[in-house]
Amino acid sequence: MDTTLASLRYLKQSKLARWGAVAVACLAAIYFLTPVLLNKAAVGLIREDRPVKADVIVAMAGDFRCNREKRAAELWRQGWADNVVVGGVSYPWGFHTGEAARRYVMSLGVPEEKIFMICETLNTRAEAKALDDLMRERGWNSAIIVTSAFHSRRAMYTVEKAAPGRSFYSSPVPTGSPEWTPRAWWSRRDDVYITMREFASWANTLVGGWQ
Amino acid sequence: MKKLRRKWAYRVLISLGLLAVGCIALFFALPSLLIAPASVAKSDVILYGAISKHSTADKYIIDLYRQGAARKIICLSSQVSRDLYPGDYARESLISQGAPAEDVISLRLPIAPCGGVALTKIADFVKANGWKSALYVTDPEDSRYSGSLARRFFEREGIALAVSYSPEDREELTRDWRRTHWKTQRMLGEAMIIILDRFYSECR
Repeated sequence: MDTTLASLRYLKQSKLARWGAVAVACLAAIYFLTPVLLNKAAVGLIREDRPVKADVIVAMAGDFRCNREKRAAELWRQGWADNVVVGGVSYPWGFHTGEAARRYVMSLGVPEEKIFMICETLNTRAEAKALDDLMRERGWNSAIIVTSAFHSRRAMYTVEKAAPGRSFYSSPVPTGSPEWTPRAWWSRRDDVYITMREFASWANTLVGGWQ
Repeated sequence: MKKLRRKWAYRVLISLGLLAVGCIALFFALPSLLIAPASVAKSDVILYGAISKHSTADKYIIDLYRQGAARKIICLSSQVSRDLYPGDYARESLISQGAPAEDVISLRLPIAPCGGVALTKIADFVKANGWKSALYVTDPEDSRYSGSLARRFFEREGIALAVSYSPEDREELTRDWRRTHWKTQRMLGEAMIIILDRFYSECR
């Protein structure tokens, strides 16, 4: 007790000790708060809405593993919408990743006539613009957006901005290996890359930079 | 006290300003930092790793093959959509341009967390086939970093490695790159990869 009181008295009198205590407290706060803040920042990238029936389910392009397409087909089978949209890009060797995605969705039970394709989806903004055009052409007013969890909030922000009069609902691919996982993302090399790139992409989207 | 605070505020502002200038300078210097001079050496095999959407390296590869730079070509790719490997198509394209089918192989790689993991698999494949030297043709922005990384992995297996890229790809990538989304994305992506790989032992 006496030692504690003496320490407190010393802290009160010595400026150096006071600054030292502040520095230690700051370092401890950084040590304990950083993981919490980093986890929060990653979770903030995700947007998931409650399931709603819509005109179309859109599997955003760019997933090499095709888990977005798999999820879109799953939602279609559950009856959340009548149509499915897939996207992709063409390569100089004459193939199109969207075609492969379409074949995959068909193999999961979605009839060919219910699948529509958006071509040259080089980035989210280009894809959102093409989706708006397709929705106008087909007379669709609502869509369920299926994408990777890390991409879900930005994808929603972008499509809602590109097509202000329509309704969009987010139903991302569940997190967990091999998909991106927000919890302790900094401990896994691939998740770090995805998360950092997503933050950079958010910055680019918000300032309206490269398109 | 006020004076001291102002002094510190100036110091912080100057440091932030210098940091911003440094970042901008680094950004503008990205092409020269990332792209190494191409080096072509006669090898046992050409490793065709520049198979991407914006690549036009097919012509370069077939020219190298015709000039006798190597006897075999391996097209390297991991899947870009369900069961879709661009390397399979690049192989067909090289065959249609005159390369004998038995000399062109498509090597399907798993989706790897970083280049280091993929390079280990490529080096194992080259070693398993008894080849002692390889010419790695990659994307220009990948040439300096992947070049040095691949050299380390290959030399560990006793394989000599030269790293090159298509001059057309380099010209296209560096033309007006700061104004084009995919070009800037590739440059910044590569810079990010280099920084991140330092922290993860499986990628170094």
